[in-house]
Amino acid sequence: MDKSGADLYTLLTRLTLREDVAEELMQELFIKLNNSRGIGSVANWNAYARRAAINLAFDWRRSQKQTVLTLGQVSEPVSNDDSPLGKLIHSEELTETLDAVGRLKKSSREVLIMRYLQQESYDNIAEQLGKTSHHVRALCSRAIRNLRDVLGSNDHQSSKKEIHNVSNR
Amino acid sequence: MSQIDENQILDRLKNLSQVGPTKEASDRAMQKVRDTLMSEKAIPKRGTGFQPVRTRPGWPCHVLSLKAVFRRRLPLFLVKLAAAAVLMIGAGFIGGRLSAPEPLNVQELQAALESSLKSSLEPAIRQELLSQMDDRWQSTLTVSQAQIKDELAQQVRRDLMEFAAQTLAASGTRTDQRLMELIRLIEAARIQDRRRMAAAFDYIESRFGNGLVTLAARTDELLDAERVGSAPDISER
Repeated sequence: MDKSGADLYTLLTRLTLREDVAEELMQELFIKLNNSRGIGSVANWNAYARRAAINLAFDWRRSQKQTVLTLGQVSEPVSNDDSPLGKLIHSEELTETLDAVGRLKKSSREVLIMRYLQQESYDNIAEQLGKTSHHVRALCSRAIRNLRDVLGSNDHQSSKKEIHNVSNR
Repeated sequence: MSQIDENQILDRLKNLSQVGPTKEASDRAMQKVRDTLMSEKAIPKRGTGFQPVRTRPGWPCHVLSLKAVFRRRLPLFLVKLAAAAVLMIGAGFIGGRLSAPEPLNVQELQAALESSLKSSLEPAIRQELLSQMDDRWQSTLTVSQAQIKDELAQQVRRDLMEFAAQTLAASGTRTDQRLMELIRLIEAARIQDRRRMAAAFDYIESRFGNGLVTLAARTDELLDAERVGSAPDISER
């Protein structure tokens, strides 16, 4: 539990960008795993727990979209840029990226997170997922392309909104 | 369409991969997870069919965080104490339920009430019904008696009138018949008298006819003579 628990906590922190939320989700994850009746028949416990953690984190993100954040809940941006504006932009970019990741298919999302957020090798991912490394590469490539499309459509929509707002003025 | 290239995405993902909790935060989170799991094991839930609130799908995260805060603040002995209190309350409840008198059988109660009501109310209802029936019959009979009396009086009056009329008619007829009969008898008697008178006259005429004529003539002469003789005396006087 120590090794996988720390990894899962790190993953949850990366996906939520908030340590307190990651703590709560961590507790919820382990309670859920503890109470899960079919946990004994799971072959790869780490993969099962990681998938559950990813789902929990993105469920939380989805619920956060529907609630109004108070000032105290706004996360501290993680950035090398010390200026407040730079921190804000960096935080917005990470949030936007995570939201876009949340809109991908579950298989693509898991591969993308394992490869780019947890920095695991293609072989390791392939071994954990029971696929070939070529297949994992293809999935990663397709996930990045989809992510680019999602982010591009977001930028397009936001720029259209800005143009619309300017024309209204 | 796309204004962002793959390198930027990879940079962002790289930045995300560099995000990580501090060692203290990680240790603290792991410790909390251990505490939570221990308290979960202290109160076994598996097999009871009860699902913990925080594991229910769709439960909002702020509620979950409140639950977690509660759990974080509550020491283990308090949890055990609460569990013991729950067990005591449950045992008391079960004991109370077992020692409580048996619930009333509604059907028996209904049958007893029905028989009691029947025994107490039936004679009174019967008596009341009889008295009401008597009153009704009495009033009906009184009205009928008056009507019958009136009808009877009218009928008697009508019959008497009719009988009187018939009697009068019959007596008138009989009187007429008697009168006619009397008239016929009188007529017959007169006819018989006339016949007898005629026969007598015939007999007289046949026996004394000439004498009578002579008598009448002499009588007439005498009368004339007396009338003549008496007349000068008168004139002399």
